[in-house]
Formats: sequence, structure tokens, C-alpha cells
Amino acid sequence: MKIKRRDFLKLSAVAGAAATLGRPTLNAFAEDAKGAGPIGELPGEWKASTCQGCTTWCPVEVFVQNGRAVKVRGNQHSKQNDGYVCPRGHLSLQQVYDPDRVKVPMKRTNPKKGRGVDPKFVPISWDEAFNTIADNMMELRKNGEPEKYLLMRGRYTYMRDLIYDGVTKIFGSPNNISHSAICAEAENFGAYYTEGMWGYRDYDLSNSKYVLVWGCDPVSSNRMIPATISRLGDVLDNATVAVVDPKLNNTGAKAQEWLPLLPGTDGALALAIAHVLLSEGIWHKEFVGDFKDGKNLFKAGKKVDEAAFEEKESHGVVRWWNLAVKDMTPKKAAKITQVPAEQIIRVARGMAKAAPNVAVWMGPGAAMQVRGAYSAMAVNALNGLVGGVDNIGGTLPSNKVPVKHMPSLSAYQDEIAKKGTKNKKIDQRGTKGFPALKEGKPGGGVVTNNTATGILNSDPYEIKVAVGYMNNFAFSCTGAERWEKAMEKIPFFVHITTNAAEMTQYADIVLPGAISKYEKLCWVKQKQNRYAQCTLLQPVVEPMWQVINDETEFPWMLGEKFAERGFPNLIDFLKKEFKDPETGREATNSKEFTEYAVKYYTQDLWNGKDVGGDKINGWAEFRKRGMWNSDPQPYKKRWGGKFGKDEEKDGKKTTKGTISHKFEFYSETLKHALEKHAEKHKTTVDDIMATCNYTVTGELAFVPHYEPPFRHGSVQEYPFTFIDYKSRLNREGRSQNAPWYYEFKHVDPGDVGHEDVLKINPADAKKLGLKDGDAIRVTSVAGSIECTAKLWEGVRPGTVAKSYGQGHWAYGKTATSDYAKAKPRGGNNNTILPFDTERLSGGNVRNGGFTGVKIDRI
Amino acid sequence: MTQYAMVIDLQKCVGCGACALACKTENNTALRRHGQTHNFADYQHETSGKFPKVKYMTRPVLCNHCTDAPCVEACPVTPKAMYKTADGITMHDDARCIGCRACQDACPYSSEEVKVGETSVISYNQEGEPYETFYTNKAALIPGITTNGAEVAAKTDNPPHRTRYNHPSYDDVRRSNITEKCIFCDHRLKKGELPYCVVSCPASARIFGDRNDPNSEVAKLLKKHKATVLKPEEGTKPNVFYIRDYSVRS
Repeated sequence: MKIKRRDFLKLSAVAGAAATLGRPTLNAFAEDAKGAGPIGELPGEWKASTCQGCTTWCPVEVFVQNGRAVKVRGNQHSKQNDGYVCPRGHLSLQQVYDPDRVKVPMKRTNPKKGRGVDPKFVPISWDEAFNTIADNMMELRKNGEPEKYLLMRGRYTYMRDLIYDGVTKIFGSPNNISHSAICAEAENFGAYYTEGMWGYRDYDLSNSKYVLVWGCDPVSSNRMIPATISRLGDVLDNATVAVVDPKLNNTGAKAQEWLPLLPGTDGALALAIAHVLLSEGIWHKEFVGDFKDGKNLFKAGKKVDEAAFEEKESHGVVRWWNLAVKDMTPKKAAKITQVPAEQIIRVARGMAKAAPNVAVWMGPGAAMQVRGAYSAMAVNALNGLVGGVDNIGGTLPSNKVPVKHMPSLSAYQDEIAKKGTKNKKIDQRGTKGFPALKEGKPGGGVVTNNTATGILNSDPYEIKVAVGYMNNFAFSCTGAERWEKAMEKIPFFVHITTNAAEMTQYADIVLPGAISKYEKLCWVKQKQNRYAQCTLLQPVVEPMWQVINDETEFPWMLGEKFAERGFPNLIDFLKKEFKDPETGREATNSKEFTEYAVKYYTQDLWNGKDVGGDKINGWAEFRKRGMWNSDPQPYKKRWGGKFGKDEEKDGKKTTKGTISHKFEFYSETLKHALEKHAEKHKTTVDDIMATCNYTVTGELAFVPHYEPPFRHGSVQEYPFTFIDYKSRLNREGRSQNAPWYYEFKHVDPGDVGHEDVLKINPADAKKLGLKDGDAIRVTSVAGSIECTAKLWEGVRPGTVAKSYGQGHWAYGKTATSDYAKAKPRGGNNNTILPFDTERLSGGNVRNGGFTGVKIDRI
Repeated sequence: MTQYAMVIDLQKCVGCGACALACKTENNTALRRHGQTHNFADYQHETSGKFPKVKYMTRPVLCNHCTDAPCVEACPVTPKAMYKTADGITMHDDARCIGCRACQDACPYSSEEVKVGETSVISYNQEGEPYETFYTNKAALIPGITTNGAEVAAKTDNPPHRTRYNHPSYDDVRRSNITEKCIFCDHRLKKGELPYCVVSCPASARIFGDRNDPNSEVAKLLKKHKATVLKPEEGTKPNVFYIRDYSVRS
């Protein structure tokens, strides 16, 4: 947009500078007078809170001027992020001040539910909203079917106990369903069935000499983003960084090595690295042990006598070699993975040279595959072979955060509740096809995305009333359209949300929720760089209208309504069990209750008790600092046979961690869990494996091994293998209504600002006759999306990549192309990724090349 | 004599976007419209080679605060709205600016109208338009239930997260019909604070200081590394320097 006066000036500048001399008098007409007052920033205060834009859960500070949140930085006390935030931290300001936020409770007046069907929402009072919710819920109890109530948890804080367990169990339903399996349970599986830890590893990056990043991009996502960003530049000087990812990611772009394997062949690559480490005799002997006579018997293709080897911290290395490793030579793996054998050998030797200061950083890409349980185990097993487990520069568990546990609620459960909670869960966990073996227990883990199946088939029963908070499964789960159908089927659904999201379109009652980072009081724990943390989320600004803290105020307000209807158990539990630890007072309203509950959980961090870590003098100081740092995690804590621990509770013997108490290359722990599951269903482990879409029989089920990738859609019909990953600007699925998201979308390598692009190798694009910017339709067996073509050499021919995040058909004016018409902006990857599960863990499948797609120009 | 300069260590930079976003929160720059990015800080990206031997890099860009600044040369008003300060900042005086855009035209790092994927370090605030229309829009997604831009701004500010500061030459939110650009956060420098992009870079890849002071970090880095500048052939003598490679892969 040019102004004519400008062209005039250009001309006059050519004619002579004198022509413009009169201009400065325009000064007098300047619209704004210069700010009066001293130079610099106007007064404000940095207030502590926590960012929940990703799972790093950074302790942060928000600069507040005159009641407005204006800037964000890392908490200056933080030993996790060193006082810095990643781009998500800043981006969140457009979330709290999103012009499309829900500001009043509302109810739907159009009983018909479906995508594109106007719910005809009308505003209602908070009182009407809670009366309606309580009436619908109490009806279930009256009819003796409290199990037909479902709570769907999304992004949470540790105040989740109250809404997730408290409400659900006191009410009488077994159906508190978490989001956990949407993106990561198979990763935890890999760690548990090798090193006995169901949880994410911490990484001692500053001391690493070799970092093998596998299936993630730690400067962009995963669980220590700012810490990794701040260290990577030096790590590249002090160590070798190798990145396994089928597409070029940020870390891979900077690293010494990039191993672009064929999607889903992770197991083969990991075994080949193990093959080099073992056959060349360069494994870390201090951890794994050695042959009794010191002579290496690991020869390609040759079985080894187990008795010849003496192990130290590990268990079953020879059996693993014999079962799964001996034949996976680099040459063979190169054929499967398309990673050159020389590179595999080079990486393995590099790791051995740097051992034990080696961290194998496993991300969801290595695990969230149809057959990903074993690739996750294989990748994590490498940490054992190089002795990086619990070691300097390696991987670490978390230090304990000494917070209180939820008080027992059994005294508040009446007969209806006790009976109701004994019902089977709606996600079908523990059924033959869904072992969900969390921490060794069949049915111990959640199968989040299968909840839609349970709802759709009323199996094991119908869901009549549901509450969802900070979740948007109709957008965030693969096979997203199944969720739309499932939500249509639920007669009464309450959504606690900040925005009218996809799930909200199926809601009967909508309650405006708080933006956690800015408006909620609660706490979370996390760890990075050897330091665990407990960090508060705090209402650093006054909400612009009434919003509720979903995890504390919803239970309280519901509890009051239950009491009015003759069922005081919930409110009694909240009042009596969460008294102010300082004064002993019972809360009288939802805000007081929230504060007392947070104080209850965190009290040992600030009440003068010596729990190690930061010394904090009182609740007021804790709120001001906003966080507590632990002491550093000690090294080698679990060495010496402490990867598992036997426990006895109520006369029942169990093991927490590995059964052998060692790092398991042959997983006795998995063997036990699988046998238990098979026994429960009166069948064999082989049958369970086949039911769960695995290909092996016998002992291979108990060791990390290679499984060929499973793909939906034939190569003939769907020639391209689709790669899904997370944008570094995703605040999970919640930042797409922020204009800055689009403005800076190009910080994802290969991406283009203001577009949702599918990255295609130029050679493939040429064959398809596609050029940059072409509008395309991408179709899989599950569905079709529309987006834009981008030619990029960072993806392998035959594969295409697109970041998850865009494609909202609801949420707001910026996120959608047309909200009223349910027209998405860009395409949601979850529309084309079909619903499938890594069944042993319950993990939702997103990776491993399981989706074939075809591309058409529109 | 002071010459403020910025050194960007590309090996440390991970191209994350934090500096450009932090700048938007500090300097309250508007959203892209009318071919203007309003990004004082932005990024250029480059992919080279063929799969699998492919290289990718991000280069953060901002006003180069050139020693021989064509924008200053081109500014037609007297005294100049675009001028060099004693410490070498290319400064903009909002009051003097007549919105002629001669600076934008003269700057080799700017364009009058950018397309998506391009950068421009000088932007122009359209004549007669509110600063940020996103927060003057009264349309609600669901009338009576969701809020709207104007309502949020009425309860807060425009933009709602506006960082309020004072400076004699420029406003925290600039008026219409003038150009705007990075001023090295002079409102912070004057108080002994570093530019906001510098303190916000989680990689500590942006180093700021007086390159004429041999003891400064920037002077030391410029001595230690072979630094490059953008478009050296333009002869503008930029004071934003790049050291090391984004990728360590050979």
C-alpha cells in the first residue's frame, strides 16, 4: 500500500533536498505527545507462575503492569530453565488476551449435535449451570448407575486429584480417564521394561560427551526445552550430537550426525548399534560386565553360552544377543532402515568412546508406533550398553518432590459409590486386546483414545453424563472423527474450557475455564538438569470475567450442589481433608478451598521441615518465589541392584521396578506382566502378542527386538508415508488462535508463515507435478485434509511430513477459516492419522510410518 | 566513542523464535498487515543440498544499525527523523517522522511491501488506521458469550499486553503514518538494561555491547571469530554481526 505523497516526496528528493526543508514543522502536529516521565519501563512486578505450553512445565515469571500481563521470562530461581523461556512462553500472552474466550457459562438449546450443527448456545448463570449438572449427575446415582459418569482429563496440574479422583470416586464411577496415552505411554513402557522406571528420563546434557537424540527434537519439544536450547551450542563443542529422525528437525540440522531412518524401523537401527557395541567388544563393562575369561565371544550370527558371561548392573545381555541382536548386523540394518552401515558403525563407536557419559534421548517418535513397545525398549537398552544410566552425562530418574499425597477418600464413599467404582472402565483397559501394562500391571494404564470406542459401542456400558476439562479429544486424538461421533452419542456433556473448541460443540453446558499460567492457583512437579522442581501456577492477573479453576473450584461448586440434593460426601471430603495446614480452618468458599488445598499438598516445602533443596520460609515466601528446587539428583543411585525393589503390602508381594532389580536386556518384568495378562484371559503369551498386532512368538516377546512397521493403506493406493510431528509453537493444541503462531510458523524447519504445509521431497513433487504453494488434498484410509504443498529436501523421497497443530474447525476466529460453517484453517493431522494403539502400553499411535497417504492437487 | 553492536552466535542459535516474539511483547509491535511485518526481529531460513546430504539454517535478522545508514541518508526532514545517536544506534524520532517511507525505500534490508517468507526491518504504520485492528474488532465469535477484541482492549489496553515505557524519541506504541523499527531497546539501554531480545534469548546467542570497547564481549567475539554481515556489498557497514555456523555438520 503506497501513499501518493510518498511518490511526490521521492520526486522532490531527486529534484533537490531543499524541497523538503519546510517539512519538519509537521512536528507540531504529531498525534501523540512523547511519554511524560523518566525514560524506561513504567513500574510493574514480576510475578511467579508456571507455563503449561508443553510438558516442560517451566517455572516462569510474568511482568504485570497495572494489572495486565505484559511479558514473560523464566523464573529467576529456576535450576531447570536458567531463567529463560522458549517461544511458547511469550506466545501465551495471546492466549490470556484471546478475543474469542468464553466469558460466561452457557447451555445449548439445539438438542441436535454434530460438526457444523449450531448448538445455539445461550448464556446462563453459574447457579443454573451447576444446578443442571448436579441434577443430571444425581439422576445416575438415583438409578444406581453412577459408573455411567465419565470424567475426561486433559492438560492437568497436580490439583487433578480433586476433580479426577475426588469427584469421580466419591460420586461412584471408575471412569476417570486421563489424556496420558494420547502421545507418550509407549515411551514410558520402553523405560519401565528395561530400567524399571515408568516415567520420562532426565538428561545430564552439560556433562554429556555423546548425545543420541532419538525420535524427538529436544530444542523444540519434549521435556526440557529451554535447558536444551541454552546448552546445545556448547554441547556441540564438547560432545557429538547424533539425531535419529526420518525428517530433518532443528536439533538434527545443527548436529554432527543425522540418521534419517525409514519411519518405523527404529528397532533395527537400535539393534544394529547394539550389535556393533557387543561384537566389537566396546560395551561399557563397568555396567554390563564382561566375559569371564575376558575374551569377546559376540560374533555376528553366533550364539553365545550365557554361563561364559558375568553381568554387573544388567540382566540378560547374552540371552538378548542370542535372541535378537546377533543377526542384526549394520549391513542388514542398513537395508531395513536406509541408514548407511558406515554411519551406524561410526555412531556406535562414537558412543563407546564417550561411554559412560552418553545420553540416549528417547522421544515419542521411537515409541508411539503400532509395534513401538519393542523399539522403545531397544532404544533405551542402548543407555544400558554404554553405561549412561544414572550416570554423569547420561540419563537420570527424577529426585523426589516431597509433597503430600491425596488423603484417603474411602470414608466418603457410600455403598453406591463403592459398588459403582468397581465397574470396568470405559477405555477397555486390561481386556485381551488392550493389556496396557503400566508398571507391570495388566490394565494398569489408560487407553485414552479407545474411550471413544467404549462410548460408541456402549461397551462395557453406556456413558450418560460426561465432564471434560482442558481437553479437546475431538481434535487432539488420532481418528478424530470417531470422537465427534462418540460425543454426539453422550446425552449430557459439560465442557470446562477457555474457548469454544471442537469438543465444546457437543457440550450441553459450557463453563469458562481459567488459563492455567495466568489465572489458576495450583502446582506441578517436573525435573530438568538433575533438579526436580515444585512450581506454582498462580493467578498473576485478575480474570476479565469469572472463570473457574477446573480442578478445584468445579469440585467445590459441584459438592455444594450435591449437598443441597442430600449428598454431602464430596463437599465434606473437600472441607474436612483440606483444612488450612497453618490455621486448621475449613474452607468456606471455592477460592479459600483452592488455596488451602495447594497449601496442604506443598506444605513440607515451606513449613520449615528439612526436606532438602531450597529452604523456603513460609507460604508467603513460597508464593512470591513460586517454586522449590530439589538438591541435584545423585549419580548411580540405582546401581548395585536397585533398579527394582520388592515390596509387601497387605500380605501381597510386589516389585516396583524390575523383577531382577537390574537393568534388564532380557525383561523378566515384561515376561511376568505378559504372562499375568495371558493367564487372566486364559491364553498364551503368543496369542496375546498376535492379538496385539505383534509378529513374534516365544522368548522374543521378552526382549527388545525388531518388528516390521505396520502401515494403514497400501503403498499402491497410498504411496507416501506420512510423518507427524509437533510444531515448536504448539502450546499443545491451544495456540492456534494466536496470530503470532502463524506469523512465526516458519521457525519450524521447512515451514512457511501463515500456511499449513505438507513437506514433499522435490523429486516426488516433480513426479506429481506439484510446486510450492499448490493447494493439495492429503488422503489416508482415515480421512482427508486440505493444505499447501511445500517442496523441501529435509524429507526423504517417498515420505511427507507435516506438523500437528492447525486444522481447527472450531476454537476461534483466527484458528478456523469459518467458525460458523465449521470450516478448518489448514488440516488436522489427526483427521488422516487413523486410530490405532500400541496395545501393550495403551499408547496412541502417531509415529512409525503407520499412515499411508495420497496427494492430489485441488 | 561508543558503537553499540550485536553479535549473533549462529552455533548457539536454534532458530526457536523466542527473540522475535519477546520483542513483540516488549515493543508492542502490531500484527502483519498491508505488506508490513511489524517485526523488529525476524528470521531468514535456508535449505541447501539434497536429501540426505541436506543443510538447513536459520538467521535471525533485525535492523543492522549501520554505520553508513542509507535510511538516515534518505530521511528528508530536518532535523532527521532517522538519525544516528552518539552511541551508534540508528534511532527513529516518531514526532519528526512524516511517513514518507524514504528510509524503507533506501534500506537494503527492507521492502515497501513484503510477501510471506520475506523480511523487512523497517515497517510502516498505515495512515489513519488504529495501531492494532485485531483489538478494535467488535465482532464476537458467539455474541453475548465469547468476548471480542475491542472488549478485551477496553478492559486492558491495545494491545492488551502492551508494555508501557517512556522514551524521548519514540513511543511504546507508535502512531499511524510513520515508520518504525528496532531501536536496540534504547529505553532499556538508558537504564543499564540490555535489549529485550538479548535477555530473552534462551540460547544466549545474542551478545550486545560496545564494539569500540576492547574489553566488551562483542569486541572479544569479533576478534576471536571471523564475523559476517548481511549484504556487505551495499557498503552500509552493519553493526549486527554473525559468528560461527548454524550447523556443525560438514
